[in-house]
Amino acid sequence: MTDGSKKHAVSHIQRKLIPAYIFLIIVSFISVFPLYWMFTAATNTSLEVAQGKIWFGTYLLENYKNLTAQQDLWQAMGNSFFYAIVQTVATLLVCSLAGFGFELYHDKGKDRLFGILLLAMMVPQVATLIPLFTMVSRLKLLNTVWAFIIPGIATPFMIMMFRQNSRNFPIDTMEASRIDGLSEIGIFFRMYFPMMKSTYAAAAVITFMNSWNAYMWPRTVMKGNSVQTMPMLIANMSNGYAVDYGMLMLGVLFCSLPTIIVFFVLQKQFAEGITGSVK
Amino acid sequence: MKKKKGFGLLAKQEAAGWVFLAPASLLIFVMSFYPMVQAFINSLKTGSSANMKWAEPLTKNYLRMFKDKVFMTSMGNTFMYLIIQVPIMLILAILLAQLLNNKDLKFRGLFRTLIFLPCATALVSYALIFKTLFSNEGLINAFLKGIGIIQENVNWLGQSGTAKAVIIIALLWRWTGYNMVFFLAGLQNIEYSVYEAANIDGASGWKTFWNITVPLLRPVIVMTGIMSINGTLQLYDESVNLTNGGPSNTTITMSHYIYNNSLGQGVANFGYASALAMIVFVLVAVLAFINMKVGDTRD
Amino acid sequence: MTKKLVSLVLALCLVLGVSAAMAEKLSITVWDENFNGSAIKAAVADYKANVDPEFDVDLTIVSGSSDVENDITLAASSGDYSNLPDIVLFQDHYIQRYVLDYPDAWKNIDDAGINWDDFGAEKLSYSTVNGVHYGVPVDNGTVIMAYRVDLLEQCGYTIADMTGITWDKFLEVGKEVYAKTGKALLSMDGSGNDLPYMMLQAEGESQFKDGKANIAGNEKLARIIKVICDMVNEHVLILANDWTGYTNETIMQDQVAGVMNGNWIIPTMSQVTDNSGKWQITTMPTLDGGEGYAANGGSSLYITANCKNEELAKKFLAYTFGGSTETYDNALRNGGVITCCISAGKSAVYSEGVEFFNGQAVYSDIVAMGANVPIIEQNDFHYTVRTSIGNAIQNILNGADVESALQEAQEQIDFAMDI
Repeated sequence: MTDGSKKHAVSHIQRKLIPAYIFLIIVSFISVFPLYWMFTAATNTSLEVAQGKIWFGTYLLENYKNLTAQQDLWQAMGNSFFYAIVQTVATLLVCSLAGFGFELYHDKGKDRLFGILLLAMMVPQVATLIPLFTMVSRLKLLNTVWAFIIPGIATPFMIMMFRQNSRNFPIDTMEASRIDGLSEIGIFFRMYFPMMKSTYAAAAVITFMNSWNAYMWPRTVMKGNSVQTMPMLIANMSNGYAVDYGMLMLGVLFCSLPTIIVFFVLQKQFAEGITGSVK
Repeated sequence: MKKKKGFGLLAKQEAAGWVFLAPASLLIFVMSFYPMVQAFINSLKTGSSANMKWAEPLTKNYLRMFKDKVFMTSMGNTFMYLIIQVPIMLILAILLAQLLNNKDLKFRGLFRTLIFLPCATALVSYALIFKTLFSNEGLINAFLKGIGIIQENVNWLGQSGTAKAVIIIALLWRWTGYNMVFFLAGLQNIEYSVYEAANIDGASGWKTFWNITVPLLRPVIVMTGIMSINGTLQLYDESVNLTNGGPSNTTITMSHYIYNNSLGQGVANFGYASALAMIVFVLVAVLAFINMKVGDTRD
Repeated sequence: MTKKLVSLVLALCLVLGVSAAMAEKLSITVWDENFNGSAIKAAVADYKANVDPEFDVDLTIVSGSSDVENDITLAASSGDYSNLPDIVLFQDHYIQRYVLDYPDAWKNIDDAGINWDDFGAEKLSYSTVNGVHYGVPVDNGTVIMAYRVDLLEQCGYTIADMTGITWDKFLEVGKEVYAKTGKALLSMDGSGNDLPYMMLQAEGESQFKDGKANIAGNEKLARIIKVICDMVNEHVLILANDWTGYTNETIMQDQVAGVMNGNWIIPTMSQVTDNSGKWQITTMPTLDGGEGYAANGGSSLYITANCKNEELAKKFLAYTFGGSTETYDNALRNGGVITCCISAGKSAVYSEGVEFFNGQAVYSDIVAMGANVPIIEQNDFHYTVRTSIGNAIQNILNGADVESALQEAQEQIDFAMDI
């Protein structure tokens, strides 16, 4: 094949892909536009936002001043980070242990138990809100990080994800490690953990996002300025006798940035981890 | 002697397995199943939440919901969202995944990232973004007026039909990319040669899509299907934050109505709210079961 | 050495511990930073300056009145009040139900030493349950009808012409105003439906009769609904989708020539500084003419079961919101909170002319109007009924006839109330 014909073949393929490019560009535009709008809105006055101004304004600093004067922004950001990180660590540890146990030690009893646990996926959150609140308040955990994380530490979805991914973990390695004298828990920490990095990354992204964005439950158990989270702060701003849209959108921006950054940083591992879970 | 030792080791391994899965399993029992049982018991009671009494008859709350027009509306709305939004979203997600799986395509990573981004925004945030975009004087109206499609501002969130459409658009916007990632992952597990074979056979894009991609992705479709059904039947934030169920309860969802009955509107009726929640639980379980059975039929 | 250190640390702890116990501190939860938050801050400053310089308050701002309601519901249902603050703000229309359902959540404040006769009777009727006082009123929900006098003038009317008129006349003027200026004479939050409630109260009618919803066959209500629909169809009234649509679009984007609501709407109106000096207020129109009086919204402060220093809480409330001119003056200046305490309403600040309202002394006018608000039958299903009437209006605007829409609303409410 000459160079010319190769080039020709490539451009032919690319030409065939033009509709695909157009479609993807449109979808990407629709996906990103509301986020772009969030950025510009944060730099405009309330009135400009309400009237749909789509270009950047000069009101960013003013919005920031108003926001920090009225709301304890950095306290809420700190809280949200703290809760989301504790939640992520706890969830990953508990659910990966369970996924490891369910898959690599599996037998009939464990498979059946797993089937039962999956049912918990279908339990509506509104139904358990009040009984859970009563439980947490009796345990004297209200307004603590424990109240925030405890209902979400073990989720059927996360266990399922680790269980699926554990199929890629070679049994031979386990046997070899046992012969080398590694204990079962040693295998988990020394062999499983390092090998499953991308699964952990994917699970971390999902858990962090869910935890950061959680609203209904945190609003129920976390009371007061010192424990409030970013979504609660935004909800507080969006009510009242007059809403300042510019300031509100700046809050929305602050609330969205961390999850976007986490996704950007971990996206490669995230994709790999998800791939393992749908095998 | 040797045998005995081997047996002990096996038992030890077996025990280790149970120990590993115990914390998660216990937590799920205590944090999901136990409250669910409590909710069921509550569903048989009436009265102020500080002083609940057994209902007379016990099924009072369950019988009441059949006469409850708002609950019927909320059920209709929820199923409408389910029937329209979930299939569109899943098909769109598979389509995008298939396009992005093409090795000849340039900027794949960039496209994937951009399309996934919406689901990184907080629920509270994205509802507010859509609300301002679709407000009377908002950007969407300004744009449509600018290009001459409409003459007067459309009151998107103030009319039942358009308000429902906005909710569906918002849901599609936020969740399509999320599901796409799962399909993309599923496709990466399919040997690329399968496609090349199809291409050599001269199958068109659509044919490949329906005859190869969709069947091979069946397990992922079942999984995302269950997640979406579950998510839609429990839809709450969009109904509350975008339309607050209005106008005149025409966009309210089941979970929103349940919340209003337990905490949202001043008059707490935990018994009735719990009974309604039981219905949601049964519906989700039944639909998930059907989904699994349909997805499981092997040729 | 170590011993010394230990004892030093111990002593330090002791001192700190004692001073912490001595510090006079209360926790208070309210919603709306600018409005209710300002009122509390004014009271705290007053109490600090004049009673106890050590006094302090831990103020929490939540997103809305429903947050406080949910806190009470959850605490009472789990029997654990330890998560509640010492004092909460609670909205008037729900408090009766909450006191009856959760009697253990509240403290009787009969003995707080407040002169109850100094408050408007209509306002007190909410926070008094079975003759026992539970709450101290903060703001005053008296309804104002504000007009853009400059726009009225263009159509040949004065504010006096608009006082004591019928709703039919209002509609007529509204049509002229719309034709000449393009602005609606009134706007309202269509989902909250304050409008029919206020119009009914101005007639001395209630949404309730003998504990039941009074919708179907309520002749005055049917007339009111008809006027409302006529106004919408003639562009005299804008029904916004929700609260922010009402405030941020119709009022703050200058789409209206008239505003009618509880006087707490004034801070929202004042955000449009361009229109300063062009507004004036008067009383509401009524169906058959004559000046109408109503009250909408408003809340009071309540001591919860979790209050550890009840004496202090009572003393604080009695001194400040019980009638301190300094508290009420600053609450008005900083937050636009208007008192329903009659003596506090006579202070110099209240009788000052307000620039935004063309120099009219609106605050003293509002306090005077508040005394005329008729007491009407209230019910715990207040907002349920409002919502249903709102739904009925939507249905009528979409083509349903008044009678059947109201019948349907009645059935809906009867169902909701039968639990």
